Amino acid sequence: MTSEDEGCWGCKATAPPKWRQDFPIDWEGDHYVSRREMVKFLTLGSLLLVVANWATALASKFLHRGSHAERYIGSATALEQSGSMLFHYPTDAAPCIAARTPEGKLVAYSQVCTHLSCAVVYDKAKNGLFCPCHHGLFNLEGQPVAGPPTRPLPKVKLEQRGDKLFATELEAR
Amino acid sequence: MSVRRQGTTLFSAILILVVTTVVLQLWLLTVSVEALLSGAYKTLVPAAAGSTILLLINAGLLRYVFRFDRDAPGE
Repeated sequence: MTSEDEGCWGCKATAPPKWRQDFPIDWEGDHYVSRREMVKFLTLGSLLLVVANWATALASKFLHRGSHAERYIGSATALEQSGSMLFHYPTDAAPCIAARTPEGKLVAYSQVCTHLSCAVVYDKAKNGLFCPCHHGLFNLEGQPVAGPPTRPLPKVKLEQRGDKLFATELEAR
Repeated sequence: MSVRRQGTTLFSAILILVVTTVVLQLWLLTVSVEALLSGAYKTLVPAAAGSTILLLINAGLLRYVFRFDRDAPGE
Protein backbone atom coordinates (compact mmCIF):
# COMPACT_ATOMS: atom_id res chain seq x y z
CA MET A 1 0.00 0.00 0.00
CA THR A 2 1.48 3.38 -0.97
CA SER A 3 1.52 6.47 1.20
CA GLU A 4 -0.97 8.04 -1.19
CA ASP A 5 -3.41 5.16 -0.65
CA GLU A 6 -3.06 5.51 3.13
CA GLY A 7 -3.85 9.18 2.84
CA CYS A 8 -0.61 10.48 4.36
CA TRP A 9 -1.05 14.21 3.92
CA GLY A 10 2.18 15.94 2.97
CA CYS A 11 4.19 12.72 2.43
CA LYS A 12 4.75 13.58 -1.19
CA ALA A 13 5.72 16.93 -2.59
CA THR A 14 3.41 16.37 -5.52
CA ALA A 15 -0.28 17.27 -5.69
CA PRO A 16 -2.47 15.95 -2.84
CA PRO A 17 -4.46 12.77 -3.41
CA LYS A 18 -7.88 13.01 -4.97
CA TRP A 19 -9.73 12.14 -1.76
CA ARG A 20 -8.02 15.07 -0.10
CA GLN A 21 -9.24 17.43 -2.79
CA ASP A 22 -12.77 16.08 -2.30
CA PHE A 23 -12.57 16.29 1.50
CA PRO A 24 -10.33 19.22 2.44
CA ILE A 25 -11.07 19.17 6.19
CA ASP A 26 -8.25 19.59 8.70
CA TRP A 27 -9.01 16.90 11.30
CA GLU A 28 -7.02 18.37 14.23
CA GLY A 29 -8.41 21.84 13.71
CA ASP A 30 -11.89 20.38 13.45
CA HIS A 31 -11.61 18.81 16.91
CA TYR A 32 -10.04 21.75 18.70
CA VAL A 33 -12.46 23.32 21.19
CA SER A 34 -11.51 26.63 22.75
CA ARG A 35 -12.63 27.70 26.22
CA ARG A 36 -14.97 30.24 24.63
CA GLU A 37 -16.65 27.47 22.62
CA MET A 38 -16.82 25.31 25.75
CA VAL A 39 -18.66 28.09 27.61
CA LYS A 40 -21.02 28.35 24.63
CA PHE A 41 -21.71 24.58 24.62
CA LEU A 42 -22.22 24.51 28.39
CA THR A 43 -24.68 27.42 28.20
CA LEU A 44 -26.60 25.52 25.53
CA GLY A 45 -26.57 22.45 27.81
CA SER A 46 -27.79 24.68 30.62
CA LEU A 47 -30.72 25.77 28.43
CA LEU A 48 -31.60 22.13 27.70
CA LEU A 49 -31.53 21.34 31.43
CA VAL A 50 -33.95 24.22 32.11
CA VAL A 51 -36.28 22.88 29.40
CA ALA A 52 -36.10 19.39 30.97
CA ASN A 53 -36.80 20.85 34.43
CA TRP A 54 -39.88 22.76 33.23
CA ALA A 55 -41.01 19.65 31.34
CA THR A 56 -41.05 17.67 34.61
CA ALA A 57 -42.98 20.51 36.29
CA LEU A 58 -45.48 20.48 33.41
CA ALA A 59 -45.73 16.66 33.44
CA SER A 60 -46.87 16.79 37.06
CA LYS A 61 -49.97 18.78 36.01
CA PHE A 62 -50.99 16.01 33.62
CA LEU A 63 -50.22 13.23 36.11
CA HIS A 64 -52.13 15.02 38.86
CA ARG A 65 -55.21 15.53 36.68
CA GLY A 66 -56.02 11.83 36.51
CA SER A 67 -56.36 11.39 40.27
CA HIS A 68 -59.71 13.12 40.82
CA ALA A 69 -61.96 10.32 39.57
CA GLU A 70 -64.47 8.83 42.00
CA ARG A 71 -64.21 5.10 42.62
CA TYR A 72 -66.15 2.63 44.75
CA ILE A 73 -63.69 0.83 47.04
CA GLY A 74 -65.83 -1.40 49.26
CA SER A 75 -68.27 -1.48 52.13
CA ALA A 76 -67.81 0.19 55.50
CA THR A 77 -68.88 -3.04 57.24
CA ALA A 78 -65.94 -4.94 55.74
CA LEU A 79 -63.58 -2.23 56.99
CA GLU A 80 -65.02 -2.36 60.52
CA GLN A 81 -64.58 -6.14 60.66
CA SER A 82 -60.93 -6.29 59.59
CA GLY A 83 -59.71 -2.93 60.88
CA SER A 84 -58.20 -2.07 57.51
CA MET A 85 -59.02 -2.56 53.86
CA LEU A 86 -56.93 -2.71 50.71
CA PHE A 87 -58.11 -1.15 47.46
CA HIS A 88 -56.73 0.39 44.27
CA TYR A 89 -56.95 4.06 43.43
CA PRO A 90 -56.82 5.96 41.03
CA THR A 91 -55.83 3.04 38.77
CA ASP A 92 -55.64 -0.73 39.23
CA ALA A 93 -51.85 -0.40 39.42
CA ALA A 94 -51.94 1.87 42.50
CA PRO A 95 -52.54 -0.04 45.76
CA CYS A 96 -54.00 1.90 48.71
CA ILE A 97 -54.99 1.13 52.28
CA ALA A 98 -57.91 2.41 54.36
CA ALA A 99 -58.12 2.18 58.14
CA ARG A 100 -60.30 3.40 61.00
CA THR A 101 -58.39 5.35 63.69
CA PRO A 102 -59.08 4.62 67.41
CA GLU A 103 -60.95 7.95 67.43
CA GLY A 104 -63.27 6.58 64.75
CA LYS A 105 -61.94 8.65 61.86
CA LEU A 106 -61.73 7.02 58.44
CA VAL A 107 -58.32 7.48 56.74
CA ALA A 108 -56.74 6.13 53.54
CA TYR A 109 -53.30 6.39 52.03
CA SER A 110 -51.27 5.00 49.18
CA GLN A 111 -49.92 1.63 50.22
CA VAL A 112 -46.58 2.29 48.53
CA CYS A 113 -43.90 3.16 51.10
CA THR A 114 -42.11 6.42 50.22
CA HIS A 115 -38.76 4.81 51.04
CA LEU A 116 -38.35 1.95 48.55
CA SER A 117 -41.93 1.27 47.44
CA CYS A 118 -42.74 -1.76 49.61
CA ALA A 119 -46.36 -2.23 50.65
CA VAL A 120 -47.26 -0.80 54.07
CA VAL A 121 -49.73 -2.64 56.32
CA TYR A 122 -51.97 -1.44 59.14
CA ASP A 123 -50.48 -2.29 62.53
CA LYS A 124 -53.08 -1.93 65.27
CA ALA A 125 -50.54 -2.37 68.11
CA LYS A 126 -48.31 0.42 66.76
CA ASN A 127 -51.35 2.49 65.76
CA GLY A 128 -49.87 3.21 62.34
CA LEU A 129 -48.92 1.93 58.94
CA PHE A 130 -45.90 -0.35 59.12
CA CYS A 131 -43.48 -1.15 56.30
CA PRO A 132 -42.05 -4.65 56.92
CA CYS A 133 -39.15 -4.25 54.44
CA HIS A 134 -37.07 -1.77 56.45
CA HIS A 135 -39.24 -1.29 59.56
CA GLY A 136 -40.55 2.10 58.54
CA LEU A 137 -43.59 3.41 60.41
CA PHE A 138 -46.13 6.04 59.44
CA ASN A 139 -48.70 7.40 61.88
CA LEU A 140 -52.38 7.54 60.92
CA GLU A 141 -51.85 11.07 59.60
CA GLY A 142 -49.57 9.49 56.98
CA GLN A 143 -46.44 11.14 58.40
CA PRO A 144 -43.22 9.08 58.81
CA VAL A 145 -42.41 8.55 62.50
CA ALA A 146 -39.79 5.78 62.46
CA GLY A 147 -37.39 4.02 60.15
CA PRO A 148 -35.92 5.22 56.86
CA PRO A 149 -38.93 6.93 55.15
CA THR A 150 -38.73 10.73 55.16
CA ARG A 151 -41.71 11.71 53.00
CA PRO A 152 -45.38 11.30 53.98
CA LEU A 153 -47.68 8.83 52.24
CA PRO A 154 -49.96 10.31 49.55
CA LYS A 155 -53.43 10.72 51.09
CA VAL A 156 -56.62 9.38 49.55
CA LYS A 157 -59.78 11.32 50.31
CA LEU A 158 -62.74 9.07 51.14
CA GLU A 159 -66.47 9.61 51.21
CA GLN A 160 -68.93 7.36 52.99
CA ARG A 161 -72.46 7.10 51.57
CA GLY A 162 -74.47 4.72 53.70
CA ASP A 163 -72.46 1.51 53.79
CA LYS A 164 -70.53 2.31 50.64
CA LEU A 165 -67.04 3.84 50.60
CA PHE A 166 -65.79 5.93 47.69
CA ALA A 167 -62.29 7.25 46.98
CA THR A 168 -62.59 10.74 45.52
CA GLU A 169 -59.09 12.22 45.31
CA LEU A 170 -55.43 11.33 45.64
CA GLU A 171 -53.67 14.16 47.44
CA ALA A 172 -49.93 14.37 46.69
CA ARG A 173 -47.93 15.83 49.61
CA MET B 1 -0.94 42.48 32.88
CA SER B 2 -1.72 42.32 29.15
CA VAL B 3 -5.33 42.12 27.97
CA ARG B 4 -4.65 38.64 26.53
CA ARG B 5 -3.28 37.25 29.83
CA GLN B 6 -6.12 38.91 31.71
CA GLY B 7 -8.56 37.25 29.31
CA THR B 8 -6.95 33.83 29.87
CA THR B 9 -7.42 34.12 33.64
CA LEU B 10 -10.95 35.47 33.28
CA PHE B 11 -12.08 32.77 30.86
CA SER B 12 -10.69 30.02 33.07
CA ALA B 13 -12.63 31.44 36.02
CA ILE B 14 -15.78 31.84 33.91
CA LEU B 15 -15.47 28.27 32.64
CA ILE B 16 -15.23 26.94 36.22
CA LEU B 17 -18.29 29.02 37.24
CA VAL B 18 -20.32 27.78 34.26
CA VAL B 19 -19.36 24.14 34.91
CA THR B 20 -20.41 24.56 38.57
CA THR B 21 -23.82 26.01 37.63
CA VAL B 22 -24.41 23.24 35.07
CA VAL B 23 -23.61 20.60 37.73
CA LEU B 24 -26.10 22.35 40.05
CA GLN B 25 -28.71 22.25 37.28
CA LEU B 26 -28.10 18.53 36.78
CA TRP B 27 -28.63 18.01 40.49
CA LEU B 28 -31.88 20.05 40.35
CA LEU B 29 -33.08 17.89 37.47
CA THR B 30 -32.42 14.65 39.38
CA VAL B 31 -34.29 16.10 42.39
CA SER B 32 -37.20 17.07 40.10
CA VAL B 33 -37.45 13.65 38.48
CA GLU B 34 -37.34 11.93 41.87
CA ALA B 35 -40.02 14.30 43.19
CA LEU B 36 -42.17 13.70 40.10
CA LEU B 37 -41.98 9.93 40.49
CA SER B 38 -42.71 10.05 44.21
CA GLY B 39 -45.63 12.46 43.79
CA ALA B 40 -44.02 15.38 45.70
CA TYR B 41 -45.20 17.96 43.16
CA LYS B 42 -44.57 21.00 45.36
CA THR B 43 -40.82 20.75 44.71
CA LEU B 44 -41.03 20.89 40.92
CA VAL B 45 -41.76 24.55 40.17
CA PRO B 46 -39.15 25.96 42.66
CA ALA B 47 -36.56 23.56 41.18
CA ALA B 48 -37.38 24.69 37.63
CA ALA B 49 -37.26 28.36 38.73
CA GLY B 50 -33.86 27.77 40.35
CA SER B 51 -32.60 26.13 37.18
CA THR B 52 -33.80 29.14 35.16
CA ILE B 53 -31.90 31.52 37.45
CA LEU B 54 -28.75 29.46 36.93
CA LEU B 55 -29.30 29.62 33.15
CA LEU B 56 -29.56 33.42 33.39
CA ILE B 57 -26.25 33.51 35.27
CA ASN B 58 -24.68 31.35 32.54
CA ALA B 59 -26.13 33.53 29.79
CA GLY B 60 -24.77 36.64 31.54
CA LEU B 61 -21.29 35.11 31.71
CA LEU B 62 -21.46 34.07 28.05
CA ARG B 63 -22.50 37.60 27.09
CA TYR B 64 -19.54 38.93 29.06
CA VAL B 65 -17.19 36.61 27.09
CA PHE B 66 -18.60 37.82 23.75
CA ARG B 67 -18.34 41.47 24.79
CA PHE B 68 -14.77 40.96 26.01
CA ASP B 69 -13.79 39.39 22.68
CA ARG B 70 -15.44 42.21 20.74
CA ASP B 71 -13.93 45.04 22.79
CA ALA B 72 -10.42 43.57 23.32
CA PRO B 73 -7.75 44.87 20.92
CA GLY B 74 -6.58 42.33 18.30
CA GLU B 75 -3.34 40.38 18.64
